[in-house]
Amino acid sequence: MKKKYILFFSVIAFILLLLYISTFINSNHNVDNELIIATTTSTVDSGLLDYLKPTFENNFDANIRWLYLGTGQALAAGERGDADVLLVHDVDREKSFIDNGHGTVRLTIMYNKFVIVGPEDDPADIRNIEDPVIALKKIADYNKQENILFFSRGDLSGTHAQELKIWDKTGINIKNQNWYIETGQGMSPTLRITSEKSGYTITDVATFLKIKTELKDRISLEILVNSDHIDVLNPYSIILINKEKHPHLNHKLAEKFALFLISKEGQSKIENYKIDDNQLFFPIFGKNNDYEIFSDEKTTLEWINKLIEHGLTPPLSLIKHNIPN
Amino acid sequence: MLIINDIFLGFIRALMLILNGNSEVIHITLLSLRVSGTATLIGACISIPLGTMLAMYDFPGKSFVTHVMNTMISLPPVVVGLLVFLLLSTQGPLGFLELLYTPTAMIFAQLILVIPICMAVTFSSITSVDKRIQDTISSLNFSSIWKIKIMINETKIGILTSIIAGFGAAISEVGAIMIVGGNLNGFTRVLTSAIVLKTNQGMFDEAIALGLILLFLAFIINGVMTFLQFKIKKGTK
Repeated sequence: MKKKYILFFSVIAFILLLLYISTFINSNHNVDNELIIATTTSTVDSGLLDYLKPTFENNFDANIRWLYLGTGQALAAGERGDADVLLVHDVDREKSFIDNGHGTVRLTIMYNKFVIVGPEDDPADIRNIEDPVIALKKIADYNKQENILFFSRGDLSGTHAQELKIWDKTGINIKNQNWYIETGQGMSPTLRITSEKSGYTITDVATFLKIKTELKDRISLEILVNSDHIDVLNPYSIILINKEKHPHLNHKLAEKFALFLISKEGQSKIENYKIDDNQLFFPIFGKNNDYEIFSDEKTTLEWINKLIEHGLTPPLSLIKHNIPN
Repeated sequence: MLIINDIFLGFIRALMLILNGNSEVIHITLLSLRVSGTATLIGACISIPLGTMLAMYDFPGKSFVTHVMNTMISLPPVVVGLLVFLLLSTQGPLGFLELLYTPTAMIFAQLILVIPICMAVTFSSITSVDKRIQDTISSLNFSSIWKIKIMINETKIGILTSIIAGFGAAISEVGAIMIVGGNLNGFTRVLTSAIVLKTNQGMFDEAIALGLILLFLAFIINGVMTFLQFKIKKGTK
């Protein structure tokens, strides 16, 4: 008798367990108003997405979630169809993503800058150097006599790719240098490690300011090189994923997210996002066609028409725009 | 389909990495062994005598100490990592040692994880020794150090199991070493933290390759231990 009861109850428990698990399967993101964004660590670390989320969700009756990844992994997630839309920053890889047919549209919505940060006493003496290539050269030269560590993200992120591009221009082979260390982690942990070890690193200015205001004295690093050189411009783009490759994704809402970010409202929201009076991201959509790193004129015009079709206001004008200081 | 493909590629890559003697992979593997091996060795030296004493002697508050020990087994590695990080950070009490983001810090963190596990397994294997043997040993007119030595000798298999358990926990753990080690390439990157990194980069085949190496190591080390256990069993019969 007792055995029968045990069997009965375990069958019931098993069915309940199956039902419970099935709710997870049903709640998979294939819902009309759910949008999954694969994005780079800086848009999350800087707090930008948290700031944009409520406005977008209210205006478009949507629910957004994001995958917190480096650009490399975000692009891989897009390739696998694990995210509805991408918000990333690595011009070369974005372009090859589109060329390989994984994505259809690339819209540059904003940019910020990369800065070189380091200890206050700045042993390699790079403070206020305009050209980042010269600054990195000086760090390498300093290491010929004394020792100061340089920390690299080393995680194939957009920041890592840009850092390697600048090292490449210095002509120095940084592989196997005992002062060049790869953390293999996101920007926040890398900054923390750099601070603990009093070394140098390259970071996007948004993440650095956010962390500096949050951790105050616990991050003993300063911005040493903050220039307007093309090598340190960091454009962020929205990428829409190929419908034919991944028809199950929420392409409609992905398009709306892109439209929101390039609209007048979205662009001015980005402009107004500040930490301690510092503007972190500079909206760029429709403003500049001189730089190859931003989206091209044809796409820009096409999407301005799209904005009007959807009853949204396009950003102010298509005037040529010089990068402000 | 993609995932199955990755697993297959992972196998091939693992074989290639091992056969080619990829210097980075070898370095990572050796560091894993060095850190977890040292932590287990030191941990065993501390926790086996402690566990034996806890099992052999009665004292007030014994059940409380046992309870604390058993709770410590489920200590999450990330919490240990956090504590060690706070201790060793430049603004922490031991910051002057400049040990943060070094293998020594990783050994220290894993030591804290290994001790309760080793101790608890030792404790339970000693308490399961035949009551008559226990009584005989405690009735002998030897110094307590000798009694502990005899007791450990009686439970060789249980002691070996405790070492295996401690090493298994240490080498498979990533939470603590990631925090205190920093996953620095060529300095503090070990197998588990490298797997996290490769997964984050979307390089699943390499992540799987490293996972296979980790599994292979565990297989070899446990194989040696099991061989020893069987040998001891035969010897005692």
